[in-house]
Amino acid sequence: MSNLFFGYIPGTSPIHSLDPRTKIISVMVASIIIFNSGSFREMALIGAVFLALFSISRISYRAPLSAVRPMMIFLIIIFLMQLFLTGETILFSLAGFNATQEGLYAGLLLTWRFVYLLLFASILTATTTPSMLTVGIERMLRPLPLEKAGISSFDLATMMSLSIHFFPLLYEHLEKLKDAQMSRGLDLKKNPLRTIYSLSVPMMKIAFRSAGEVSLAMESRCYQGVSRTSLFEPRMQRMDFAALLGFALIMGSIVLLA
Amino acid sequence: MSIDVTNVSFSYDPGTSLERTALKNVNLSIGRGEFVLIGGEIGSGKSTLIRHFNGLLRPSSGSVSVDGAEAHVKSVRKKVGILFQFPQNQLFARSVYEDVAFGPCNFGAKGDELRKKVTKALRMAGVREELYEHSPFTLSGGEMRLVAIAGVLAIRPDYLVLDEPLSGLDPEHRESLLKILRSLHMQGSSVIVVSHWIADLLPLADKIILMEKGKISFVGSPEEYVKSTSTPLPEITSLMKKLQQKGFDVRDDIFDVGEALNEIIRVKKERLGSMQ
Repeated sequence: MSNLFFGYIPGTSPIHSLDPRTKIISVMVASIIIFNSGSFREMALIGAVFLALFSISRISYRAPLSAVRPMMIFLIIIFLMQLFLTGETILFSLAGFNATQEGLYAGLLLTWRFVYLLLFASILTATTTPSMLTVGIERMLRPLPLEKAGISSFDLATMMSLSIHFFPLLYEHLEKLKDAQMSRGLDLKKNPLRTIYSLSVPMMKIAFRSAGEVSLAMESRCYQGVSRTSLFEPRMQRMDFAALLGFALIMGSIVLLA
Repeated sequence: MSIDVTNVSFSYDPGTSLERTALKNVNLSIGRGEFVLIGGEIGSGKSTLIRHFNGLLRPSSGSVSVDGAEAHVKSVRKKVGILFQFPQNQLFARSVYEDVAFGPCNFGAKGDELRKKVTKALRMAGVREELYEHSPFTLSGGEMRLVAIAGVLAIRPDYLVLDEPLSGLDPEHRESLLKILRSLHMQGSSVIVVSHWIADLLPLADKIILMEKGKISFVGSPEEYVKSTSTPLPEITSLMKKLQQKGFDVRDDIFDVGEALNEIIRVKKERLGSMQ
C-alpha cells in the first residue's frame, strides 16, 4: 500500500507528459464541479470523465483504489452522519436514531463526492512525480504576495515535497516497529490502547529525529528557502492549454446540461 | 525440539507488478540449544526468513513449525523472541523498567513473577540499576540497545533471534553483548544471530547458514565454513589460510590469536627440527 497510496507510477501516457500546473488546475476544476453537482446523473457523467482519464493515463487500477481504501472509515462516518442526522422522512430507526430518506440521498451524494475527489487526486499524483508536483505548485504560488506573511512559495514547496517523501519512509518505520512490538507479544486486535501507545510514542520520536536529520543534511548542502532554481523547469505547451480548455469545457457542460 | 523450516517460499506483494520473491524453497532446522549464525549479503532474504520463525510472516508455500507447533500460533511468539535491527527504536514506556515489563505483561505475567522476570532480564543485559526508573529516551545509544535486549530477554524465549545486533555498537557494548549471548547459550537457549558480517561471531557458533538470493547456499560447522571458499572470515583465520596457501603446514580452523600463535610456533619448531 505504501507505494500506491497517492504515490507516483512511472509511465509515458499523454497525461504523464502534461505540465504539472495543467493537472493541478484540472483537479481544482474537477473539485469545484464535483461539489456543485447535485444529482446522480451529473455524478454518473463525472464518473465517465474519470474513467476516460483513467484509461488514457494507463495506470494500474490499484492506484485509485488504494487512494480510497484508507479513507473508507471516514467515508462511512460521513455517510452515517448524513443518514441519521438530517432530513425528516423516516426510513428506519436504530438505537434511538432515525435514518431518513433525505439523509440517505444526501449521504450517498456527499460520500460519492469525496470518493471522486480522491479518485481525481490519485490520477494527479500517480502521473506526476513529487518533484514536478512541487515545482508546479511553487510556480503557481509565486505571484502571490506570500512574503508579507513571512513565508515564500519556495518554503511552501519544499515543505510539501518533504512531506510527500516522508510518507513512505514513516510507513516503513511503522511496519518495522509493528513487527518488533508484536514479537514482544503485542496483540494488535486485543489491546488497541496498548497498541496505540506502544506504536505512537516511538513513531513520534522517529518522525522528529528524521526531520531533524533531513534539515541538517539540507543545511549542510547550503539549502536556503529563497530563489532556488529547480531541476525540472516545467513549460506550458500548446498541448497543455488544449487539455486544460477541453477538460474545463467538458466538466462545465456536465453541470450546465444537467 | 527445534525450529523446522520446510520447503518455504515467500514473495512480497504477490500478484502485483511489485511482486518480488524473497525466499525460494528454503529448508533448515535449528535445534534447541544451538548457536546459529545466518549470514549473507543485504537483500539475500535473511530478515524475511527470521520473520517466519515467529509467524510475523506466513510462507507463500511450505511450512514453518516451532517445537512441533505451527509458527503463527500465538504461543510461539513466547518461544521465539526476535530482536530486530536498531531495537532502540522500539522503546516507548515512561521508564526503562516499564519498557522491559511490556513483553512479559503481554504474555500475562503478574506481580512477583513479573518483577522477577524484569529484574533478571535487566541484570542479565547489564543495565545499571540506577537507570531502571529513568526514561529510556535519556539513555545513550548503547544503553538503549541493552534495554531493548532486556525487553526481549524478559519474555524468556527458548530461541533468541537477533538481527544485526552488533551494528553501530561501540567496542564496550559490543563485548558485553557477546558476553550475554555466550552465557545465554551456556544456559541452554538457542541463539540465532543474523548478520551480513558473521566473521566476528564465528568462534561462538555451532552452525553457519549462508543465504544467497533467497536460497540457502551453505550449511555447516565453523570448521567446514573455513574449509569452504565462503567469506567473510575473521582476520586471524584468513591469515592462517594465507599461510597455508604459502605452503606452511598450519591448521586454518583457528579463531583465536593465542591458538594461532601456538600453531605457528609448532610449525616453526617442526621446520627447524627437520632442517637439523
